[in-house]
Amino acid sequence: MKGKDLIHIGIFSAIYFVIVFIVAMLGFIPVFLPLLAVIVPILGGIPFMLFLTRVKKFGMIWIMSVIMGLMMLLTGMSWPPLAVSVVSGLLAELVYRSGNYQSAAKAVITNGVFSLWVAANYLPLFFAAEQYWASRQNFGQDYIDTVNRLMPVWMCPVMFAAAFVCGVIGGLLGRALLKKHFEKAGIA
Amino acid sequence: MAGLFTAEIENRGIVLDPRTKLAVMLTLVIFALGGTGSGIAAVRLMTTAVSVLPMLLLLTAGQYRKAALTGGIYAAVRTAQSLLLPHLTGAALSVSGICCMAFVRLMPGLVMGGYLLSTTTVSEFIAAMHRMHVPQQITIPLSVMFRFFPTVLEEFAAINTAMRMRDIRIGGRRAGRLIEYRLVPLMVCSVNIGSELSAAALTRGLGTKVRRTNICKIGFHIQDAAVLLPAASLYVLWGLGMIGVIQ
Repeated sequence: MKGKDLIHIGIFSAIYFVIVFIVAMLGFIPVFLPLLAVIVPILGGIPFMLFLTRVKKFGMIWIMSVIMGLMMLLTGMSWPPLAVSVVSGLLAELVYRSGNYQSAAKAVITNGVFSLWVAANYLPLFFAAEQYWASRQNFGQDYIDTVNRLMPVWMCPVMFAAAFVCGVIGGLLGRALLKKHFEKAGIA
Repeated sequence: MAGLFTAEIENRGIVLDPRTKLAVMLTLVIFALGGTGSGIAAVRLMTTAVSVLPMLLLLTAGQYRKAALTGGIYAAVRTAQSLLLPHLTGAALSVSGICCMAFVRLMPGLVMGGYLLSTTTVSEFIAAMHRMHVPQQITIPLSVMFRFFPTVLEEFAAINTAMRMRDIRIGGRRAGRLIEYRLVPLMVCSVNIGSELSAAALTRGLGTKVRRTNICKIGFHIQDAAVLLPAASLYVLWGLGMIGVIQ
């Protein structure tokens, strides 16, 4: 991996994180909280598919995934997203590698696997709910009740599945935009 | 958001080691944002003290206006939270509670992040990371990313204005193209800026196999100790609280 590859990781991480950050702001409205795992993978798929056209060497997807986990740690989502992103990033890397870093179909699936870390943000909500809410008492009981009603424990695997499926949708969307705009412009 | 990672070497007041700033940042995330140990009274008090630290640091860096503004907002929200909230119920409590919470918890971290990025140069950041033995594969993307945030936001604002002029906005006639017509130009210009950035980085020898030298002098001084002391005491208090020495 050369300096140029590392710089590409930085640039696309910045775009991706700006999208994550804007969408995450919606999470203050209770109904939108579970929807984050839907919106982020779909919108994130657009820059990510362009990023994948730049990926030619082992490790680039993995590093981006780890950086996303680190950013979640720095923005207060605690350690579960980082733990998941280290593993899911490696898996995404292996999926894309199995297509020799050029298969379009594998790229779409790669976005699905990569998106799994978004769902990991909810893990404390399911498995440490009391602690999670203890530090968010100011949200008011209404907000807490609404979210708890929306998020019973069986939703946990559903969130991961949703992140994957929406990642695939986002991948397809990104793929379509890639064909429509970037290949014509000569930057894909 | 101007001035991220583009600090002037002169006129920035008291200089702290980048590692000190990172340590305070992490402490704020753990205690102020993460709410660790909020069940222990001493930790709660100390968290408030450390939350004020970023605003004081802004003062030492000579950014008086920003310090006064953030300090004022923080003090106002804090008083509102302790005086007003106990009298509210229901939806009013939810809304104002979330707003207060967002401010009281997010603000110290955000102000600290702003201070960190506006008083550290990329060279210093890389030197500090190097001393901590963080591999280049992580430091280069990270420094590019932080350097790139203001650029992304600036470009995004410009594109946003252009698209609003064409009535491509929420509630506009062509709302369906809302996302496509914003993200695509953003990415095209980001890729172009990115290739310029890689060219610039290559001339500075980033990403080569050889060990880079760095003329930045970083190291811990008396001012670092003064800043690290309150942060470290938080961990001590929390530890004491966990084993039950203090309530």
